[in-house]
Amino acid sequence: MAQASYPTRELVDFVVIGSGAAGGIMAKELSTAGFSVVVLEQGPHLHPGDFTHDEWAVTQNEELVWGSRKGHPQTFRRYEHEKAELVQGAPLGYAHNVGGSTVHFSGNLWRLHPIDFMEASVRGTIAGTNFTDWPITYEELEPYYTKVDWEIGVSGLAGPWDPPRSRDYPLPPMPVKSAGVLLERAAKAMGYTAFPAPVAILSKPFNGRPACVHCGFCNGFGCEVAAKSSTAVTMIPQALLTGNCELRTGCTVSRINTDDAGRANEVVYWLEDGTEQAQLAKAVVLCANGAETPRLLFLSESAKFPDGLANSSGMVGKNLMFNGSTSAAGLFPEEINGHKSIATTRVIQDFYSIDPKHGFYGGGGIDSRSLSRGLPMAAAMRGGIFSGATWGSDFKRGLAREFTHTASFNGHTTSLPLSTNNVTLDPDVKDKWGRPALRTTFMNHPDDIATMKFFTDRSMEMLDAVGAIQKVGSYAENGQTGGVHLLGTCRMGNDPATSVVDKYNRSHDVPNLFMVDGGSLVTSGRGQPTMTIMALAFRAADNITQAARRNEI
Amino acid sequence: MNDIQISRRLFLQKTAAAARTSLIVLSLPTIMTSSAVASEAMQMASTTLTVLNADEALEFTAIAARIIPTDETPGATEAGVIYFIDHVLGTSRTEALVPMREGLMALQAQAQSTYGIAKFSSLQPEQQDALLTAIEDTAFFGTMRYMTIAGMFSLPEYGGNRNHAGWELIGFDHAHVWSPPFGFYDADYMAKGE
Repeated sequence: MAQASYPTRELVDFVVIGSGAAGGIMAKELSTAGFSVVVLEQGPHLHPGDFTHDEWAVTQNEELVWGSRKGHPQTFRRYEHEKAELVQGAPLGYAHNVGGSTVHFSGNLWRLHPIDFMEASVRGTIAGTNFTDWPITYEELEPYYTKVDWEIGVSGLAGPWDPPRSRDYPLPPMPVKSAGVLLERAAKAMGYTAFPAPVAILSKPFNGRPACVHCGFCNGFGCEVAAKSSTAVTMIPQALLTGNCELRTGCTVSRINTDDAGRANEVVYWLEDGTEQAQLAKAVVLCANGAETPRLLFLSESAKFPDGLANSSGMVGKNLMFNGSTSAAGLFPEEINGHKSIATTRVIQDFYSIDPKHGFYGGGGIDSRSLSRGLPMAAAMRGGIFSGATWGSDFKRGLAREFTHTASFNGHTTSLPLSTNNVTLDPDVKDKWGRPALRTTFMNHPDDIATMKFFTDRSMEMLDAVGAIQKVGSYAENGQTGGVHLLGTCRMGNDPATSVVDKYNRSHDVPNLFMVDGGSLVTSGRGQPTMTIMALAFRAADNITQAARRNEI
Repeated sequence: MNDIQISRRLFLQKTAAAARTSLIVLSLPTIMTSSAVASEAMQMASTTLTVLNADEALEFTAIAARIIPTDETPGATEAGVIYFIDHVLGTSRTEALVPMREGLMALQAQAQSTYGIAKFSSLQPEQQDALLTAIEDTAFFGTMRYMTIAGMFSLPEYGGNRNHAGWELIGFDHAHVWSPPFGFYDADYMAKGE
């Protein structure tokens, strides 16, 4: 069946804003359920044949992840009393294309554990933070985690390391890389448990897509063979095949309008040439990510919603969390060749919750990685990490060894939700559409930094345990200055006074508006949020479908 | 075992300095249409200069040759890094052209006052290194390092990395398909049946 086509001046059942991890799933689920759906995506619809190994274009020219070079400047400051500075690149990193960041992500698909949903009750609240329980439990979300496994295509190995699962992985784990072997051997030596990384990358053909060919241009790049299970190659094609879904690319939403009753009724957007359009809708599902979703809510302010749409709680844009990240690079005597195959193949989660006796809150996992994602240019730019020289003959000789002989044990850790860490509209800087730029205000809670130090230390010990010749650890000891996990900015909760959406991702304030993306997360999890964003999307879609059929939207 | 651990602080200083001193990183954004940038990769760089004149190219080549020298293996000169630099200064990095020219003039003035020779490329390697060491923390040097490395390791279609000189230096084989084993340790792991 051909892709649907709807007139803008007639009501469609749903407008879905964004086509990434959550938007792709919402589009597929709602259109499959028989509803008319228009998806608005600001980027292009790229296909496997469009993707390249062109490191200059992709990593330096913002081909997938737009920033100021593409007319999308962002500003950053540490504290609210400071003036935010324009920064090159993007503190809030995300892709602009159909499939969103699932096109270029590393594919790590960790589930949260039961503890993540009720940690404040178990461990206690933390003064000065908005650390609280989720309104749902792991058990409520588990069927949807399993749905992601099977609908998207996830490779992994079930075992005692997994939180409870109702069904096995659809695909066996990916072949282990040398860095993964070293992490596993280090774990064995230290008494930890390494297990195969669960990834949204196909180890065998699945649903008409081929297995991974291990090309190595994976994390940060689009997959040339469609083996990476982005929503662009899984959900979106199914949505279009229903005949109920129209995908409009190159469409940048400027605001969501509401009627006199305070219900969303129209989505206004620009075409690439600047022409303004407006689609009438019975309901709106906002899946623009943890940065763009709050920005759009702020931009949709009106007399009825003076602080931004759906923001009676004042929590829109707040509680921004990135997940901590740490790196410990080790030089080894033999070849690692991190430039081949996928980002990571082994994980340990022995420090999922750091013992409170250490005096700070935190936890996470450590996985096996390559030096600078196994990318030649990136590795060389960072180069000299073991030789100490950053140019000249010693630098050059250092590069010759470290590119192929380095493994990195990377930590992925918790972030605490704080009101003072947030996304707002910059008062001065504008983007190419004339909209206020995204302004990030962010300084980690001291426990985030203590956690990153803890994970760096453990990773360094593991490098020693497995015979690294040299090692260098790093983490943001003075606080992070950006991230690609954009979490917490439209948090889910039962209390409309302290949360933006309810437990089914419905706005507390606007009954036919749903926010589904990383912004929904109440706490940060342990570093790999995409699986949870996807599971929440399947769950929200299920509930939206049922509510719509009961005429309760 | 020779367990030399470079301090994290030194490492962070080096990476931060690399970012801080690059004009590319610091320059205010030029808001460009996405099509202008997207088309860059399509325009294959040639082996003739488009933006730089021959004298400038000679000087930038000499600087790049100190960043990635020619020794037992090919360096930036043999990789044709200058053609990459010329290409990007005329396409996606036009904003860097004037600062680069100004930086070169400042370097030449320093060469003149220190050694009595204005032409950087005419100096001895030791003299060149001394001058560059003195400007290591400048935006000009940061940009030269950035562009030299980018040109050394980018796709050869951009003009640099000729004969895959950069990739061969670091042991990177470019292929679109690999199969396990990928390295020594996973081969060993399979052999031992771990």
